[in-house]
Amino acid sequence: MAIYLDCNATTPVEPSVASVVMRFLEKDFGNAASPIHDHGVFALAAVEHARGQIAEVVKARRDEVIFTSGATESNNLALLGLAEAGTKSGRRHLIATAIEHKAVLEPLEEMARLGFEVQILPVQADGRIDPQRLSDALRPDTLLVSTMHVNNETGVFQPLTEVADILSNRETWWHVDAAQGFGKELEQLRNPRIDLISISGHKIYGPKGVGALIARKHDRQFPPLRPLMFGGGQEQGLRPGTLPVPLIAGLGEAAKLAVRNNAERIEKCRMFRHKILPPFLALGAAQNGTEEYTLPHVLNVSLPGINSEQAIKALKRVIAVSSTSACTSHTRTPSHVLGAMGLSSEKVEQSIRLSWCHMTPEVDWSEVEHILRALRG
Amino acid sequence: MNDIFRELEEATLDQYDNYDLPKWLADPVLVVARNPLAYQGKEYLIEILLAQVREYDVYAEAGCCKWAYDHEDIKRTLGWLEEER
Repeated sequence: MAIYLDCNATTPVEPSVASVVMRFLEKDFGNAASPIHDHGVFALAAVEHARGQIAEVVKARRDEVIFTSGATESNNLALLGLAEAGTKSGRRHLIATAIEHKAVLEPLEEMARLGFEVQILPVQADGRIDPQRLSDALRPDTLLVSTMHVNNETGVFQPLTEVADILSNRETWWHVDAAQGFGKELEQLRNPRIDLISISGHKIYGPKGVGALIARKHDRQFPPLRPLMFGGGQEQGLRPGTLPVPLIAGLGEAAKLAVRNNAERIEKCRMFRHKILPPFLALGAAQNGTEEYTLPHVLNVSLPGINSEQAIKALKRVIAVSSTSACTSHTRTPSHVLGAMGLSSEKVEQSIRLSWCHMTPEVDWSEVEHILRALRG
Repeated sequence: MNDIFRELEEATLDQYDNYDLPKWLADPVLVVARNPLAYQGKEYLIEILLAQVREYDVYAEAGCCKWAYDHEDIKRTLGWLEEER
């Protein structure tokens, strides 16, 4: 079996997370919305415990965590959920960046269809937005700014602290899609200026099918979100439906480990990175995204003279990698992220993304280099 | 394993000495915290108990939402710890 180097697509599940999930699948199967008996009360206790574990990662409050099916739903709730507030207040200007995930860009397209004006900010060659351009783009009628935390294709983290300073005296709502950075880069998401944070379970060694929108309250009030679905009033009226207690408890456990083991995980990823860089540099690879701003578990490179699709196929018995985001790779469309960074179409077609984690075993990098050289030859 | 029990003891003493956790509730929690062997395999419940002690507030249910944990929550978790759960 090839060694899995596609952790930005999804991570393996931590063993203790799997144990917690199994506990609530097999034994403690109560419905958290039925606390009229001990089964339901225990399920509710587990949900509230998980809520606290997730809130702790970003130093939010427990009641600011709204469980969803994942970051895509969280993004939709954060963006489309503000549409009515924008319409009523006459604030119809929205700002996002060119490197956002489709789960942000497509809800924004829908908002444009509803009459909102969507302004997409370009990014620099290093893969980061220019905070000054954001500052220049803000208007009195700007309802929302949406910036991602860490890019899924390059691993580059965005200057959220600078964005927070720019937005400090503005009434504009600020959403951060943190699917790739939550539980990995801890500090920036703790900035209380961020109103809305989307997170996903399966990017932090938790289960698929669960995530959360963290909505910071002001004067005990959520941002003026409207639910996208109706029927049950769960999650403070913002996300109806029976809570998937096993998945939520698993996400809570994953969040706990993300904080507790953060430094150790980063160190392991750094050590892996030290081994991965030399063979790719020897092949003349150009890194996409500046190393200084790249999280230690991701490497996106363009390999001169090697088509990425051919490279991925040639390497498939040794390592499992991808060329773009998991959500767009099936469409075979060129990366809009690398394009936005100014890469030529040739370099985009030569790009591969490697992403690993603290559980990734050793790779025979000499074999990888040998295969890629043969491909070029 | 003992880390979580030590954290529970520290949090309980802190809440008892400096905040509102009553003695009748602190005492049984401390019995748990000081007997890790007796509660081996129940770390998930110990973690819940620790969070409840840390976020304990007499007025947890005041206002529109329950924003902290109260004595009923802690009592209930202590009960679960004595069950087969």
